[in-house]
Amino acid sequence: MADSIETTAKALIAAGRDRAAVAPVGAGFGDNADVDTAYAVQEAVTKAAIGQGRRVVGRKIGLTSKAVQTQMGVDQPDYGMLFADMEYADGDTIPADLLIQPKVEAEIAFVLRRDLPAKDVTITELISAIDYALPAIEIVDSRIRDWKIGIFDTIADNASSGLYVLGSRPVQLADFDLRLCGMVMERMGQPVSFGVGAACMDNPLIASLWLARRMAKVGRPLMAGDVILSGALGPMVAAHPGDTFRVSINGLGEVTTHFAKGENA
Amino acid sequence: MTNTLSAIAKRLDDATRSATATHQLPDDQQVDAATGYAIQAMGIELRQQRGERIVGVKMGLTSRAKMEQVGVDEVTWGRLTDAMRREEGGTLVRADFIHPRAEPEIAFILGRRLTGEVSMAEAALAIEGVAPAIEIIDSRYENFKFSLGDVVADNSSSAAFFIGPLARPDLDIANLGMVLSIDGKPREVGSSAAILGHPLRALVAAARMTARAGHVLEQGDIVLAGAATAAVPLTPGMQVEVEVQDVGRVRFDVS
Repeated sequence: MADSIETTAKALIAAGRDRAAVAPVGAGFGDNADVDTAYAVQEAVTKAAIGQGRRVVGRKIGLTSKAVQTQMGVDQPDYGMLFADMEYADGDTIPADLLIQPKVEAEIAFVLRRDLPAKDVTITELISAIDYALPAIEIVDSRIRDWKIGIFDTIADNASSGLYVLGSRPVQLADFDLRLCGMVMERMGQPVSFGVGAACMDNPLIASLWLARRMAKVGRPLMAGDVILSGALGPMVAAHPGDTFRVSINGLGEVTTHFAKGENA
Repeated sequence: MTNTLSAIAKRLDDATRSATATHQLPDDQQVDAATGYAIQAMGIELRQQRGERIVGVKMGLTSRAKMEQVGVDEVTWGRLTDAMRREEGGTLVRADFIHPRAEPEIAFILGRRLTGEVSMAEAALAIEGVAPAIEIIDSRYENFKFSLGDVVADNSSSAAFFIGPLARPDLDIANLGMVLSIDGKPREVGSSAAILGHPLRALVAAARMTARAGHVLEQGDIVLAGAATAAVPLTPGMQVEVEVQDVGRVRFDVS
């Protein structure tokens, strides 16, 4: 079992490095393909990344919409690690050779000013710990071929994390409506995805509270300065070389990203 | 031809009043949108003969989600009468309808006449207020299946509507979060941006399309801008609520 966890972690790391997706990894675990084992694989991938000098700067929350949870056969979200080298600034161009099969999602990012070490952290402690919010584009990617993922695959694969882009104007929680903020994502100027704060577990703070408690329990508590990508506000959209995406979240602001054209384009 | 059209209008009116679905126009009798609007006008005349009064218009199929749900790819409009208006916070009787669905909308109340080709700025200036709204659509056709001509003839499926409290007219309505909840839990979520990219475009389209049919949007008229999400089928016992960011909420119960 420990062997297969290590082997699977290595296969996922190689798939990401070589940009060569692999077959679903859950199948190899048979009856042991549960959520805990999937997180054990993710933890092995995380340890290897830290060993290479990569720095954890936050977490992402995935599977925050009811529709996606139903599709995956689960009743809770999942999480993945955000590393410093995954972050891009508003307006940056994403190099063509970093991702396998990217998709984009519009999200609210929170940045913390305090550690949240308690396993029973409360909503007021969380609100007090949030320094500010930013509009964000999460660029998800899967090391599993054709996105043929089950719950085990996506958790093992760092919750299908890729890269992320953050806006540059911090906004206080009191200054926008977290639950009813409208979201529109445009691709090349055409609206392609719509949503609202409530699409993320009824309120992005509910998702973030789940994350804070969960991270304290597994021994990787959220720390001051950490970024939380709280979950998609609308349907994800496939990204192609040359695409430009702009996300507007009402009251929170806008964030834009460009995908570089491929070498042959 | 006129006889045939008025017979179709009568059949749809009977279907509405008896809450019984009727068949689509057969393939060899399909009508285009213009003929559909002529049938719609005849159907409204039947309502007016019974004392109903026109209070505004609804725009239909203004979002991609809605177009995909019904398989039609053109914006439509229909007429609203006072008999279709329901009291906010009140009860909708399921049995009065065939297969009703609720959709979250934004309503404009016009402060002045608006007709023909108008700019977005002119449309904005004609708005007296903006309100959260729920439209009840209820296709008179079996299985909610229709062509463009069919649905237009059927008053664009409009059946009833609820309007919430008026918000100020100068709100930026381009990207308002919208949530339709059933029994307190969000069921359909979206943004007003899903309405043609900006709900004001629906008002511009309303002025243009109604003028083409000789209909004028008057001061005091209600314009339902179209749905921001897919519609939700209604069953007795449901509590339905729509919230619109910065605008407000509107609700009703189904019995």
